[in-house]
Amino acid sequence: MFSKLIHSIESLTHFDFDFRRHKFSVALFFALCFNLLLAPLVYAATTSELTRSQAWALGLLGLSTAALSIYLFFVMFAPEKF
Amino acid sequence: MSQHQPSATEPQRRSPGGRRDDRRHTPKVNRKGIYQRALRSAFAKLDPRIAVRNPVMFVVWLGVFVTFLVTLDPNLFGTVSDHVAQQRWLNGIICLILFFTVLFANFAEAVAEGRGKAQADALRSTRSDTIARKILPDGTVQEVNSTALRRGDQVRVVAGDMIPADGEVIQGIGSVDESAITGESAPVLKQPGTDIASSVTGGTRLLSDELLIRITSDPGQGFIDRMISLVEGASRTKTPNEIALTVLLAVLTQVFLIVVATLPAIATYIANFLETTLGTQAATQFRSGSSIAILIALLVALIPTTIGGLLSAIGIAGMDRVAQFNVIATSGRAVEACGDVNTLVLDKTGTITLGNRLADEFIPVNGHAVADVAQVCLAASLFDETPEGRSIVQLAQQLGASLDLTGKQAEGIEFSARTRMSGTDLDGAEYRKGAVDAIKGFVRSRGGQVPDTLDQAYEQVSHLGGTPLAACRGNDIYGVIYLKDIVKPGLRERFDQLRRMGVKTVMLTGDNRITASVIAREAGVDDFIAEATPEDKIEVIRTEQAQGKLVAMTGDGTNDAPALAQANVGLAMNSGTQAAKEAANMVDLDSDPTKLIDLVTIGKQLLITRGALTTFSVANDIAKYFAIIPTLFAAAGIGALNIMQLKSAQSAIVAALIYNALIIPALIPLALKGVEFRPLTADQLLRRNILIYGIGGVIAPFIAIKLIDLILPIA
Amino acid sequence: MLQGWLQIGLTLLLVVLITPVLGRYIARVFLAQKTRLDPLLAPVDRLLLRLIGVRSQDGMTGWQYARAIFYSNFAMALLLAILLFNQSWLPFNPTRLTSPTWDTNLHTIISFITNTNQQHYSGEVTYSYFSQFAGLGYMMFVSAATGIAVGIAFIRGLTGRPLGNFYHDLILAITRILLPLSILGAIALIAAGIPETLAGPVLVPTLEDPAVQQAIARGPVAHFEIIKELGENGGGFFAINSAHPFENPNGFTNLLETVAILAIPSALIYTYGIFANNLKQAWLVYCIPFALLVGFVVVSAIAEYNGNPIVNTALGVNQAVNLEGKEVRFGWAQSALFAVVTTGSMCGAVTGMVDSMMPLSGLVTLSNLFLQIVFGGQGTGTAYLFAYLILAVFVTGLMVGRTPEFLGRKIEKQEVVLASFLILLVHPIAILLPSAIALVFPDFQGISNPGFHGLSQVIYEYASAAANNGSGLEGLADSQPSPIALATGAIPSPTALWWNLSTSLSLLAGRYIPITALLLLADSLSRKQPVPATAGTLHTNTTLFTGITAGVIVILGALTFFPVLALGPIAEAFQLTQGMR
Repeated sequence: MFSKLIHSIESLTHFDFDFRRHKFSVALFFALCFNLLLAPLVYAATTSELTRSQAWALGLLGLSTAALSIYLFFVMFAPEKF
Repeated sequence: MSQHQPSATEPQRRSPGGRRDDRRHTPKVNRKGIYQRALRSAFAKLDPRIAVRNPVMFVVWLGVFVTFLVTLDPNLFGTVSDHVAQQRWLNGIICLILFFTVLFANFAEAVAEGRGKAQADALRSTRSDTIARKILPDGTVQEVNSTALRRGDQVRVVAGDMIPADGEVIQGIGSVDESAITGESAPVLKQPGTDIASSVTGGTRLLSDELLIRITSDPGQGFIDRMISLVEGASRTKTPNEIALTVLLAVLTQVFLIVVATLPAIATYIANFLETTLGTQAATQFRSGSSIAILIALLVALIPTTIGGLLSAIGIAGMDRVAQFNVIATSGRAVEACGDVNTLVLDKTGTITLGNRLADEFIPVNGHAVADVAQVCLAASLFDETPEGRSIVQLAQQLGASLDLTGKQAEGIEFSARTRMSGTDLDGAEYRKGAVDAIKGFVRSRGGQVPDTLDQAYEQVSHLGGTPLAACRGNDIYGVIYLKDIVKPGLRERFDQLRRMGVKTVMLTGDNRITASVIAREAGVDDFIAEATPEDKIEVIRTEQAQGKLVAMTGDGTNDAPALAQANVGLAMNSGTQAAKEAANMVDLDSDPTKLIDLVTIGKQLLITRGALTTFSVANDIAKYFAIIPTLFAAAGIGALNIMQLKSAQSAIVAALIYNALIIPALIPLALKGVEFRPLTADQLLRRNILIYGIGGVIAPFIAIKLIDLILPIA
Repeated sequence: MLQGWLQIGLTLLLVVLITPVLGRYIARVFLAQKTRLDPLLAPVDRLLLRLIGVRSQDGMTGWQYARAIFYSNFAMALLLAILLFNQSWLPFNPTRLTSPTWDTNLHTIISFITNTNQQHYSGEVTYSYFSQFAGLGYMMFVSAATGIAVGIAFIRGLTGRPLGNFYHDLILAITRILLPLSILGAIALIAAGIPETLAGPVLVPTLEDPAVQQAIARGPVAHFEIIKELGENGGGFFAINSAHPFENPNGFTNLLETVAILAIPSALIYTYGIFANNLKQAWLVYCIPFALLVGFVVVSAIAEYNGNPIVNTALGVNQAVNLEGKEVRFGWAQSALFAVVTTGSMCGAVTGMVDSMMPLSGLVTLSNLFLQIVFGGQGTGTAYLFAYLILAVFVTGLMVGRTPEFLGRKIEKQEVVLASFLILLVHPIAILLPSAIALVFPDFQGISNPGFHGLSQVIYEYASAAANNGSGLEGLADSQPSPIALATGAIPSPTALWWNLSTSLSLLAGRYIPITALLLLADSLSRKQPVPATAGTLHTNTTLFTGITAGVIVILGALTFFPVLALGPIAEAFQLTQGMR
């Protein structure tokens, strides 16, 4: 029983996930997580005009804009790669 | 030396301004279905992994995605207005236009690529695998697939066979049909030993005899393979100018991203103010002007989508234009460098003058009559089959000389480097012609006298830039043949054009100073190097480069290879050696050295097209600003800035976006064909182009957006 | 009316006349040619250089030059910090001022080290005489000299010379240019009636009620005043700056101050002409800022002359000059001229309240801040102008069919990155981003005049910081209580904290990012092999190309801010004319 539990925990921690291969998915995951922090801020800042889901969407849009800006900086400094 | 004698008129006809049909395109390219294929490819390029490589269009692509979301739910990012259905319509239209903007840009690139692909397909069809007869070290023959051949292998090829890979003839003489790569139907003679005629290309066909060939390239790296990857654009990398332009476009996109992203904060502030002063209605109207879809529309209108969408198409089309000139460039960098060239280093023979000198005049000495000289020259040249010899015969016959050979015994004396003369023994009489010194010696050895007038005639011919040959009969010198270098017709005008564009021409020749200076004056080159050796060539290039100049040159021999590699633009003749072709960054399949001049104009055209569309794109922003901002924020009382009198905010946005989308396909022909180039000075060019693309770029969108706004059925 | 235009015209004429004289002198100084001051000052230079252990012949690369600026400026900032925080027990403090709040000090330090002199404080009640002349006055010299050094290094790089040595250039800029001119100017100002004293404020009985006494602030003003203008500093000794009768008492001082503001930045263009041996181009390039300056002055002067339509209607007249917030002794013409000159060059001194000027004047002054080249800041303005030229060469130069060249040097990726970054990107980041944040959070703002004008106030504040100008449209609650008020129990305000800190970031970004980019740009240009000019080379010293550059400046430099200009001053102008409340 106990060993079974340890085994299942082991299998949980040993899952094979190549972060480099799933760069995009990982980034998306972290963005969504971060947005959970950001959305309440947006919700608070925009005095009661927005619903919660709208604040969440707006937070995500803001994050995408920031990501786009970082991407453009990347293009500026390493244009050969594009 | 060259297998392929360029005719006097042919290269002139192929000026870049000439009709495209006039230019021979090498392998027959199937242009049918090119647009359907491009359309399919345009959709394939919507793949984000490909789209991310074009920063400007990638932003638009993301815009499509977000506007699609707000089409599904207009209230996604905040409650925009009471009329959800109307808002959805507008968002949908914006989304659709943005989508087409991306598609048009992809299509432009795909069309440009399509031309190269079609050419590559044609080339690929020649590269079918063949069975090669490989000679093993022990001398036995083994039949292997051509793809199994490695560098250093030896193969035997017999008449009718395809040559399996690039190589060098080490035994045998045979004629080869190279039309697959050069488009030239006349077969070319290949034999070992000579620098140029010994190299063969895989994929060409041996028409006669049998050759033993040493393979010089591994599979997949042969000349045709390289050509395919080049015309297909598989190995295409951004050129320095393209990179710099990409930076500017990314910066502009970034700037407008910041401008638009901060606009909601500003607009909300103003809207709150309007709410307190003018009431809710004005505030709502003002707020609807800064909905997410409209902000994205504003962003797309402001970022330089026109040049962003066409940039790669321009580059690809530039390479393609070079390919249509039957020149294979190893990189776009080389094509671009052509436009920057300051100095052209040109060989005299074959480039500036026709390869052969022709007899122009007989100058009698020793008191002989011209007719007598003609008679002697005719006799001396009977067996001379060189172009010079034939031109002497022709001139002599024009002057009325004739020879009745019936019943006479004639024997040809061949030219040799030792005697430096040739001639005919005709019934015991020795007719000779050759270098003046050689004939002097010959005459003295026969006990003759050398007249003073001979040296005078010699000087006279030299001063005219010609090559003097003396002709004698036995110990009697009859006269001097004036062999004239014929400058290719039309070159003088081309050099004048180049000078106006700021390109200096330097002529290299083995002739002496006097001869060289005469030819230089006649051809109109700026400078010349007489008595030049191959080492001088590289020296000239180095000194020019030390002054910061870019140098272009042509070459074909192995000893040209270092100079070709040193030059910024090295154009090797296809008839040249493998070494030369590898050292150069361009190969001319027609082996016509004057093409270098055309390449300069193509390079300039490429840069001009890029600059013109950038200027146009940036200049367009004024009109777009004036179309969108005043109508969008009309509720703030700035409606009077709406100088175009556009109907409404919706109509203005949609009109600006439609203009923005349609300008891309409208400019595709210009991007592919290139801006018309005229040989003017830089300042004249700038004035002309700034008028068309700068001022035009400011005015055109005002008119176009107004017209679209009038046509649009949106209130 | 004619008198006003005459004043404007003669002042500008004087500037143009000074340009070649001063420009030639600056060129002589930095080309190491003999000047009359050499016998007197060369030993001083040598002594100073030996003291800091620098051999003047040690050339620097762009990055070394930039690093030297960072290190030295940081050290100077530390010095100033020690001084300001300890002013309570330091000498020359007749009013016994204690140190103001930490954020006021921080903002002041950053603002003075960056040659901005944006003041979120009132000089006479915040800083002691010692803090003013030893701390802030010292900064006025070194920050201006830093600017000149950068400008000279940039010109050197542009013309293919090694960039030189920062410390050497800094010392030369002070001993040969700023100090001699300041001494002459200060004497003239003292003669014209500006005080120069260490005595404390005078207490005088008021006219209304002799029992009530009024303190009239004074101090060592004259020498402070001249370097304030000459070095594009703009930090006034008194809160109301050059509008104060002790800073700018009469027409003569006003003329002297206006000319002093423009003298060095305009002369540097001529200096470039000597370095490049191309005076024709120098004068053509000179025309761009000069034309913009004239155009802006005309717009502003007409707007001020015609006055506020709402007021005019209320008074029942067609036209009444807008004198609100102006010093009557200067009138509409000189006030408009000074406002445009001070915002165009990055001085930031003011003779009148920009806040009270007509919206079109606001549009003009804001545009000045966005462009930064209407002669621009000390040294940096000239460099920006040529960076614009490089950008124009790149955008349009391709159209002649060659890789774009400027002065025979190819403009490639590196140059485009630096030039476009410093010209196009720094400003939107340093102005629009903080403005957006401030506008979203009403708690930060403290805007006195909400609406279109309030938007202008916010944008102007950050634009002034990012452009290192230092003038303010004002009307924002950006000042902490003075030490005197603090002592009587005033509480520090949160809006002032926000403004102090956020503008500090804009100040730093607007100074050090462009300076680094400029130096790296100069460095990479100086290392390029020059390409000889041919008929195929684009000549940049033509009227046509100068016109193109002007177009590029307007489209790329100003159009970026069209949305905020439309919703700020332009909307306000329409609001006034349409009588919308």
